[in-house]
Amino acid sequence: MSRPFPYTYISCPCANTPVPDPSKKRRSRESPQKASSHYDPDQPNPPPRFDDSEDEQTFDPRAPRSNFSLYPPEHLLYCEDCHQIKCPRCITEEIVCWYCPNCLFETPSSMVKSEGNRCARNCFNCPACTAPLAVNTLENVVQGGTSQQGPWVLSCGYCFWSTLDIGIKFDKPTNIRTQLAKLTATDANGSRSRQMSRTFGDLKSPLSTFSSINEQFHPSSGEPRAEESPDQPSAPLNPDARFHALKNFYKNQISATSSFSSPSDPLGVGVDFGGPISSPRAIDRIMSLYASSSRLNSLYSKKPKTKPPVMREALTVNEGLKIPTPDAESMRIQRMAVDECGWDGLASLEQRGFQSPDARFVEELLPLATLLRTKRAKRCKSCKHILVKPETKPSSTRFRIRLIALSYIPLPTLRPLMPGPPVPAPAAAVVTSHNTNLNLNLDALPPLKPTQLLLTLKNHMFDPVRITLATPSVTPGRVASKVTILCPQFDIGANSDMWDEALQGSSNNNNNNNNSTSNTGGSAATDQRSSRSGAAATTATSNLGIYEKVAEAGKVWDKGRNWTTVVLEVVPGTLPSGNGGGGSSSSVTLQSRNQTPVQGSSKKDTDDDDASDSDSDTSSFGAGKVPDWTGQAAEKQQQQQASQEQPLQPDEDVLEIPVFVRMEWDSENQIDRPGQGAAGDIVKRELAYWMVLGVGRIDPSVLG
Amino acid sequence: MPPKAPKGEYIETDTGNKISRRSLIHGTQHIILGGKTVIQSDAVIRGDLYRSSSSSSSTTTTTTTTSGQGHKPTSSTSSTTANNNNNPSVAITIGRYSYISRQAILRPPSRLHRGVYSFYPLKIGDHVFVGERAVVEAASVGNHVHIGRDAVVGSMAILKDNAYVLDGAVVAPGMVVPSWCVVGGAPARIVGEVGEGYGVEGGEGGLARERYRVVGR
Repeated sequence: MSRPFPYTYISCPCANTPVPDPSKKRRSRESPQKASSHYDPDQPNPPPRFDDSEDEQTFDPRAPRSNFSLYPPEHLLYCEDCHQIKCPRCITEEIVCWYCPNCLFETPSSMVKSEGNRCARNCFNCPACTAPLAVNTLENVVQGGTSQQGPWVLSCGYCFWSTLDIGIKFDKPTNIRTQLAKLTATDANGSRSRQMSRTFGDLKSPLSTFSSINEQFHPSSGEPRAEESPDQPSAPLNPDARFHALKNFYKNQISATSSFSSPSDPLGVGVDFGGPISSPRAIDRIMSLYASSSRLNSLYSKKPKTKPPVMREALTVNEGLKIPTPDAESMRIQRMAVDECGWDGLASLEQRGFQSPDARFVEELLPLATLLRTKRAKRCKSCKHILVKPETKPSSTRFRIRLIALSYIPLPTLRPLMPGPPVPAPAAAVVTSHNTNLNLNLDALPPLKPTQLLLTLKNHMFDPVRITLATPSVTPGRVASKVTILCPQFDIGANSDMWDEALQGSSNNNNNNNNSTSNTGGSAATDQRSSRSGAAATTATSNLGIYEKVAEAGKVWDKGRNWTTVVLEVVPGTLPSGNGGGGSSSSVTLQSRNQTPVQGSSKKDTDDDDASDSDSDTSSFGAGKVPDWTGQAAEKQQQQQASQEQPLQPDEDVLEIPVFVRMEWDSENQIDRPGQGAAGDIVKRELAYWMVLGVGRIDPSVLG
Repeated sequence: MPPKAPKGEYIETDTGNKISRRSLIHGTQHIILGGKTVIQSDAVIRGDLYRSSSSSSSTTTTTTTTSGQGHKPTSSTSSTTANNNNNPSVAITIGRYSYISRQAILRPPSRLHRGVYSFYPLKIGDHVFVGERAVVEAASVGNHVHIGRDAVVGSMAILKDNAYVLDGAVVAPGMVVPSWCVVGGAPARIVGEVGEGYGVEGGEGGLARERYRVVGR
């Protein structure tokens, strides 16, 4: 889901923590050599990023690592114990319930496994197109008051596939799954077996021979096979039965072979497939390799010398062996070659992925019972505190616990400060009579032209928050845009109860006078509406005579009860072009590109990797912190020419601004802990994270 | 408000619905808007496809409207008498702060049941967004549902609360989209889940009030 512009992503701080310490030390030790090799133009490896203290790194939204830490704000949780933002990578999940997404019935956890993780009722998906199937009747005779309804089929409303295509009808509209299992397993249905017979020849009920697997197991294996294979050249077991037969067979094999050597170890008897590997016996053996104790050595010394028991493979049909008929392949090919089969008669790879391995043709596809979904509770990985706990009922959307990050960190909203409708596309298209030339098209930002953006932060906490924003003056990456936050430090009021405010007698002064509401304290009376959504208020004001209002450095643009808006000034950089940039316009960007990767004429695909790698490394310095490479300046210039000729990478034209947010607030200590003060104390809290503002795409028509 | 600009583009009703004069709304008597609903230009709302099982009786009462909330930006009859005592044939219900984008089509679902082809009511919840050129024939659409651009929601589909239909998705007829699920593709499948913070006011999924507010300014 890529989002429309403008968007905001928040980087979970966990991305920085898992860097292992050893590597950090190693790299810092190596850094002198690294730095020296860095002067080699062939190896433009900048100094490792881990040298810098982490606070001083500039977040690069394009670094490959960033992909894994950037989340839309609503996906983030907040752990009240760790006082940290938690992204999907720093939580663990527990299943609260299983439910069918089609009928929304809960499946008890004891049933989930036996039902194969699928809905046991009437929910099926089309094997041809995966759309849900509906149960429909074929006959519909209404006689007087009573209607007689005939056999039932499953039919797809999307591709009009139905079970009639594979010759299946159901006697009643309920319990379709068991009916279907019966029909396909025992082939009681005439049409079904007729259809099967075309491929597999004569069919026998597999279950009759299947039950006696244990007695078939011990006699010498060649004998039963000699009996059965001539008259049953094709496998009589359907895939499910064969799977169970094989499973049983191997289970017995495991128990037989492992009981051979360690009869005293009942646990070593393979209970599951991993028996001989995961059994304590194997662990003991491995342990004995390392054990220095002579006692253990003597105990295990002769074990390895005994001949390890040999497992055999399935040899009879009853054991799950399937030998295809010699002409099975040619039969299939013949069948494919027939005119009525054709391309459409063949099942596609996607369709076959969910079917039995034998299904090659469309008419062998069986309806798929709907896979279950889960509701999950989420825990913090580090402190195990529960962060999200939904209600068990599948249809309920409520939560018992829901600690989302948005109730703690301010919700960022970005919009361009431009004359014209300040809302994104759907609504903007309505206002037809506005001069559309004035509208800022976020998909084509004019390069090198200062653009002002309004960044609104809305506080959801009940404490006022002090915010400090920081951004690199030039965005990292090849397309260097200049960014200035006009008011990097400001307060946001508390999210006090709306009723408190209403009762304080804030009359409905309309949005019109919002310009003058430079209210102190943040809780003074603004319009109720505007206090509910700061962004809306600013949009309102921006239409109502804000054209005269000029963004001033050091002053907040606007603020309300629990939100504050500041102005960002952005000068989008020019996109690199094939003709290597010239003129005064690109010199600005050239200077700031000192740290760009240099791969002049290497091939495209290697280039992708290299460029992204070095991007991630170069992200450690902002424009100001570039090491002094003055001796290389001229060379650099040339290399930049080369790097500019590199074609534009996908989404490189997207203007993304990394913003470092630091918030401080006083809160009551709600958790009573032995080491700290009692609950109710005022605690100073602080939270810092990177946020990425996606402004828009830079207009490609103006090239640097 | 800019002087000449969108003057009259929207009709704003007592309950705060903003309805474009250029929308195409049929059968206004069978449509209930919950208030603060936005219907943009060229949106088609087929209130005329109401359940006609008792067609003989309902045709006589078609001029009734429920609580005066049915609207007629099209030049249909303006006699919206509020005698809704015996009018069960509601075709479309739309909740508060829902937003019907341009060229979207809302049609009540229909199906052949026991040999009779009939329409069923289409219920749309609060804070629902229907994207441009989307076609919705669902039986019910929950609250905070997002239906993307060019999406098609098939007949008798059910979108539960906080469902998210991606742009261009084709939700198969009769499909049920559970809460918090993201569906996409043709035919639509569940491809993910929205975050727990979805629907928080002002954030993703919680922009309905803001959308409403900026319309018609």
